[in-house]
Formats: sequence, C-alpha cells, structure tokens
Amino acid sequence: MSETLLFDRRWIARGAERASTLRFLLWLFPWMLLLLLGIYAAGLCFYYGLNQTNMDNRFAFGMWIFLDLAIIAMGAGAFFTGFLVYILKQKDLKPVLNSAVVVGLTCYSGAIAVLMVDVGQPLRAWFTFWYPNTHSMLTEVTFCISCYLLVLILEYIPVVLRNRQLRKIPSFLVFEHQLHKLVPVLAGVGAFLSFFHQGSLGGLYGVLRGRPFVYRQGFGIWPSTFFLFILSAVAVGPSFLILVTAAAEKVTGRQLVQPTVFRKLGFISGVLLAVYVAAKAVDTYVWLNITSPSVGFGPSDYYSYWPMSSTFLFAATVPLGLLPALLLILPYTARRRGWLLTGAALACAGVLLNRFVFTVQTLALPTLPFDEFLRYTPSWQEVATFGGVIAYGVIVYSLSYRYLPLFEAAKGVDKNVSLD
Amino acid sequence: MSARYGMVIDLDRCTGCGSCMVACAAENNVPPPVPRATPRTGLTPMLVRKLSNGKDGADLREAFIPITCMQCEHETPCVSVCPQQAVEVDKSTGIVMQIPQRCLGCRYCMTACPYHARYFNWWDPQWPPGMEKSLNPGVSVRMRGVVEKCNLCHARFHTANEKAAAAGKTQIDPADYVPACVEACPTGAILFGDLADANDPVSTAAHSPDAFRLLARIGTEPKIHYRTTQAWIRTLADKNSDRPTEAQHV
Amino acid sequence: MFPWTDGYHWSATHIIFLSLFFMVVLVIFSTFVSAVWRAASDLRTHRAAKLCWQKNFADLPEAARHCRHQLAGRVASRTCDNAFDCRQCANYTQFGSLPSNVPTKNVGVSYSDKLLYHRGHTWVRPERDGTFSIGLDEFANHVIGRPDSVEFPRSLDDVESDGIAWRMTKNGYEIRVRAPLGGTVISTGGPDEGWYLKILPHGQPNLRHLLHGQEVPGWLAAEIDRLHLQLSMPGAEHTLADGGMLMPNLMDAEPEADWDTILAATFLDS
Repeated sequence: MSETLLFDRRWIARGAERASTLRFLLWLFPWMLLLLLGIYAAGLCFYYGLNQTNMDNRFAFGMWIFLDLAIIAMGAGAFFTGFLVYILKQKDLKPVLNSAVVVGLTCYSGAIAVLMVDVGQPLRAWFTFWYPNTHSMLTEVTFCISCYLLVLILEYIPVVLRNRQLRKIPSFLVFEHQLHKLVPVLAGVGAFLSFFHQGSLGGLYGVLRGRPFVYRQGFGIWPSTFFLFILSAVAVGPSFLILVTAAAEKVTGRQLVQPTVFRKLGFISGVLLAVYVAAKAVDTYVWLNITSPSVGFGPSDYYSYWPMSSTFLFAATVPLGLLPALLLILPYTARRRGWLLTGAALACAGVLLNRFVFTVQTLALPTLPFDEFLRYTPSWQEVATFGGVIAYGVIVYSLSYRYLPLFEAAKGVDKNVSLD
Repeated sequence: MSARYGMVIDLDRCTGCGSCMVACAAENNVPPPVPRATPRTGLTPMLVRKLSNGKDGADLREAFIPITCMQCEHETPCVSVCPQQAVEVDKSTGIVMQIPQRCLGCRYCMTACPYHARYFNWWDPQWPPGMEKSLNPGVSVRMRGVVEKCNLCHARFHTANEKAAAAGKTQIDPADYVPACVEACPTGAILFGDLADANDPVSTAAHSPDAFRLLARIGTEPKIHYRTTQAWIRTLADKNSDRPTEAQHV
Repeated sequence: MFPWTDGYHWSATHIIFLSLFFMVVLVIFSTFVSAVWRAASDLRTHRAAKLCWQKNFADLPEAARHCRHQLAGRVASRTCDNAFDCRQCANYTQFGSLPSNVPTKNVGVSYSDKLLYHRGHTWVRPERDGTFSIGLDEFANHVIGRPDSVEFPRSLDDVESDGIAWRMTKNGYEIRVRAPLGGTVISTGGPDEGWYLKILPHGQPNLRHLLHGQEVPGWLAAEIDRLHLQLSMPGAEHTLADGGMLMPNLMDAEPEADWDTILAATFLDS
C-alpha cells in the first residue's frame, strides 16, 4: 500500500507532497520505540529513585545536565532566528522560522522533562518560584526557561492552527491571525529571556569559587562564562538549524529552503563563532594566568590527566572552533553544501565539547589536594532517557513537517489579509 | 551575642578508628547503606579519609583526616547557589543549615562544595526490622532525593537551649552542646567550641601556628580547622603549596 | 516570591529580579489575552468569516487568483490581491469599463445569462420577493455528480459572504461550499430542487463581486483547463478532449483522481 490513506491525506495541506501513510509510520516506528524506552527508563528513576543512574556524590551532575546544557545551546536557533527576522528585519530568513520554533520547542520541553527526572524531588519544582534565591544562577535559569517555554508554545500555536483541518474552525483561524500579529512582541520577549538564561547557564559554573576550573572573574555579578555561553549559543543555534533542516531535506527528499538561507545562517554562525573563539582565548588567558593561580590552582591541575588534557582545550579552539568558523565564512567552502554542513556540524561538536568540559570534566577534576581524578560512565537509564528526548524531538518535528506548514516557501502568507 | 561554632581537629591524635563516623550516623539517623551503595553513593556527613605522603619504605607517612562540612563563613558556596533558599547560615551560631523539606534535590550545592562535604539520598532510607528503635527522636529523617550534610548536631544545640531556657538562662552551657563526633572520639582529637569566644580553647587552638585549613586560598573561610606538627600534612592543605599554609585570619 | 513568603528580602537584587520576572509574565499573559480578546471580538462582530476567507485566499496559488478582468479578456494579465472582493476594489470601475474579449461562449459546460456566478462555483438569482436563491453551477454539478449527503444551515441562521454556506459529502470527501452573499437562511432545497438555499440579505446587497456576462465563459474556460490539467495527473485514465462537453459524475467516473486537490481548488477551500 503506497498511497496516503484518505483519513491521513485530509490533514495534510492541499497540494503538499508527503510520503505515504505506511512509509511515514515506518519512519516513526523506531523513534517511538526509542521514546518508549526513554519513558520506561525515566519511569524507573521516578519509581526507584536516582540510584538508577550512575551519578554519585562526586558526580552530582552527569550526562543529563550535559544534555540539558547542550540541548538549550542548540535550541538557541529558535530565539535567535526570531530576533534576526523580527527585530533585525532579516526577512530572507523567514522560511526557516517555523522550523526553528519547532526545534526550539522540542529542545526546551525535552530539557525540562529531563530536568524533572534529574532532580530528587520533582514535585517540589515550584519551590524555586515560591522561595527564589535571587543570588543563584539556577533560579535565574529556572525562571527564564519556564517563561521562554511559554513563549515558544505561544509561537507554536499559530503554526498548529494553520493545519488544514484545524483552520476550518473559524475561531481557531481568527485566533491564529490575532496571535500571529503579536509574534514580534513574543520574539522580543524571547530574545530577552534567552539572553539571560543562555548566559545564566554559563553563570552556573562561573560563580563556583569551589571549582577553580570553571570559576571566572566577570563584570558585576556576571562571570565571563555568562557572556561566553551566550556567544557560543547564538553561534551554534543557526548551525544546528542548518543541520536539522538539511536532515529534513535528506529524509523527505525535497528542497525545503533556498540555499541562500543556509548560506546566510552559516555566515552568521561562522562570524559569531570566530568572535566567540577570540573571546574564549582571552578569557582562558586571564583565567590561567590570573584567576586560577590566585587560589593556588595552575594549568597542571587541569591538564595533566590524559585524555582530558590540553587536547580538549585545543580541540575546542581550533578544529572545532576556528576551522568551522572559516568553513562557514569563506565563500569557497560556504557556497558548497558539503563544506557548509561540515562546518555546521563541527561548530555544534565544538559547543557540545565545551558543555561537556564544563559539566562532566569539572566534576572529574580534584579540588582537594589529596583527591584523584574521577571517572563516570552513565547508566543505561541515563542513556535511554537521553535517547528518548532525541526521539521525542524527531517525532514532534516529523509530525509538524507532515501536517503543518513548516516551510511555507513562496506563498504570499498573510500578506493580503486586512480588515476594512 | 552570636557564636561562631567551629572545630580544631588534631591530626596527630586521629587514629582513623572511625568512631566519629559511627556516632554521627547514629545521632543523625543515617540509614545503613543498601547492598548496592558505594563509597561515592554512601551517606557520610562525617567522613574519615586517609592521607599519604606517597613515598616508599621507611619514608612512607600516612595520616587520617576527618572531613565534614567546613561551615564556610565567607560567601558560603552552597548558600548562594541553592535555587530555593534551602541552605542558609544561622546567624546566631554560624552553622550552615540545610532544610531537607525544602530541598529540591538539584544537587547544585554538591557541585559547589569544594570539600565534597554534601551527600545525596540516592535511596529511600530503610532500617532493618527492629533498628528503627535506635532512631534519634530529635533529628528528622530525610527521604530520598534530598541533600544532607553535617550541621554540627544542631539538635543537640536545640536541646542545650531548651535546658538553658528551663533554667531561666539566656546562654547555653557550653558543656551541654557537644556534637556526637566530638563526644565519641576516643583520643579527643576533635576540639569543638565557639571561635568567637576568646576564652574558648578552640579559639586558641585555631590561632596556633600548627593550625591550618583546607583550601584556605579559595577564600571560603572554613570554621573547621586542623592542626598537626607534621609539615607534610600541611602541604596537602592547599594546591601547589610546597610550604606550609600561612595561618589565615580566624 | 511575594513579600509575605518566607525568605523574601527587600533588597535591590530581589526587587529587580522579581520586577523583571513579573513584567515578563505580564507581557506574555497580555499577549495571549489580547489575542483571545481580539479573536472573540472578531467572532462577535461577524468579521470572522471575512478574515478566514482572506487567509484562505492568501494561501491560493497565484494561478488560482486571476482577476475577473483577465478572465474576461479586458486585461492581458492581472492577479487579484483583494480576495476576489470587487466590492472593495479601488480598480474595479477602471478595468470594468474596458471591452471584454473571450474566445468563445461555448466552453463545454452550460451556464445562464440570467444568473450571477461566484468564483466558488455557486450561482445567485434574485427572486421577486426580495430573497436570493443560491445553487451549484453546472461545473460543480458535473464534478460532484449527486452528493451522498448535504448538511444545510438551520432556518433563520445567518450565512456570511464568502463564509461556508453548506457542506456536502461525496465518496468520503467533504465539500464546503462558499456563500456568494450573506444573509438569513429562509429555506433550503437540495440537488433535486435545482437550488440549495434561499436567503434574505441584510439590507441592500452589493453583488458587484459576482461574475456576469462575458466574464462567465472566460472564467469557466479557465476552470475547465485547470480541471483538465488536474485530471491528467498520473493515475487518471480518461482525459477530456478539447472542445468537448464536460462529462457528468466525474467523481464517480474517476475515483482515483486527486479529488482532495481538485475539490479544494474548485470550491476555494484549504
């Protein structure tokens, strides 16, 4: 059976080419399994407790916190694209905006879901709102991420309501119209919130004076990692968006956006990545020569453990920092899809490495002189939950692509709508 | 007048017997570890660790160091990071208090503590049948998913206050407030008292040239001091110090 | 969080942080409420149907948005940018006065000079008692054949101009027919009566947006071309020869065709 079932066809936009129902279900099936496995693993953690993981008193943060930081950095493409389109008026990026919103929504909702499994008492999550400690970076993160998730939901609702069947309900279409008019406001709020929480995730570590590996001087109450994390997030957001869109093009077998959109996103990503690498180099110099020695910690305390030695620092700076920046900026490589995608992938890998170094390596490194370097391997429950989040993202994106106008191409959307 | 309760632990006297750990567990209703627990997932608000100078043969020297919450005074790392103010410094005693009922279990404070003096309840507490009779009624039991640490046996401070109040006094009798580890130590290695009181022996001991603190250069101003005549131990107090740590202001 | 909560401090950081948070929440909440409020207002003041139609029109491909004056041969090429609402079009009179020029009046499907036609394939006939009859034109009838079911609005309900007048089903497909003008439903007919609705407009209706005269064959010829193209997609068996008559009961004759797309394009639905 290779045709699309009529029941299914009705929900797909008129004239849109989509895979047959069976092929779509076959595509979804392994991701659903992965999602179910993730839910089961999370269920075990809820039922039995966090002893189901391999985290311990020394590795209080593990793979999930790394996942959270990484996923939120990748999801920065959502707010940043909105900022570019609505605030900086870069209208030629509009075709990827809906897709960016879906990526952002799945990244942030996935991160929050994992966070709920990660904390010992998820039912007490509201305590942070009720007794907030305004000095804590984690409070800031919690507040901003919650608000930003609301913003993303409000930005996603219009996309959902433009589904072919849902838009037939007049109240839905009218509400979509009114909400869509206010999207620039949401984009502005989203940019404001994202600036703070991307930064606060860096601030989480930069304020830890008990961990000289990550402790940084800063400006006012904000350590340098606050600004570096914002920079790296806006640098990697567009690259991740390129990768997701390219993957969607590969899976669906059709061109979804003009290559110029990829090039523009790549260029922005490359420039920001270059600025980030420069800023990081300055920061590393200051840290290794001034901040860290002032508390008695020197480079050998961080970099004499193989393989987590200076190779990580080098890797983050050059092959996963400067190199992708060049690939994304220089016309020769940026014009060629293969090089552009490589640059984007390397940029993402670089930021992933950076988040890993901050979350896992920080805890591996000893602080007390008589401690040794520690190791940690995530348990299958942790890996399965990680996989479940990725599966969740793929499933939501796939459903959104199939049934919603994610890539509205050259149609004159809403251009002619007015009320006399 | 506020107190600043602290300790000076004499490492020349510590034999590593572990009585302090047992007494702490008994006083604070720490459940016995489950079979799957490891040294890194156990609950040990007082933890005795072994130090070694790393040499061979006759040059080898070893010592034991009890590690507990250092009751940091200056920009206490765990206080500033807790998202819901479940950790605060009690101004009247200087003790860093943990509110288990408010703890979300995010473990950010555990990441922040340079002394690794905080422990997470990875399991629900379980006592073998009959052992629940040994529970201390003055200390609440914590459920899984929350962080805990040494609070200088604050329940005993509470009892001392009640006793003083019953006798119509405003100050407690120092002899009434003795943490379990101090009480249990067979060699008297742990000296406990009010660092703010110049007459208190602990204050004098903390000022002695033999005294040092762990990671003093980080600047958290811990109130748990150590003392030893063995110079090799003092070099382990701070990173990259090939000389004994200078006495920090107390 | 609030001054009475344990742990609240009247300090600068506390006040700044919480103020910013409450402001952000207020902005998000106001955005949502504002959208709901305005939407409710649109629905209440009967602007909803027009809004929905304008949004659907904006989604039509350019090939489906030819101006009636182009179809009538008055201008070489012009795309409508006003949701086919000639009543509001500033350029209507300018183009309307030009001579029309259609190749032939015989387009393969019958139509009547006495009827006014809506682009959604309905016709309008003013009756002597002030009501207007609305029916499906021959093109639509030939495409659908006999509908499996018809769902009418209730008597004395209002239909909005360009809103949905009635619904039909055929072979499992749902067809929503657009109302050529607005008014109160007086009576309902059906495929056997030859008309579907009789409505009484509110006040004097403006029928300028309805096609008449030479525009009708021009438009129907374009529609048949479109149908021809859509039916000759892979999977269809028979195609129409040029110059022939449109066969009736096309949905029964060509069950494998992409009726989803064809019906949506015919009845200007999403």
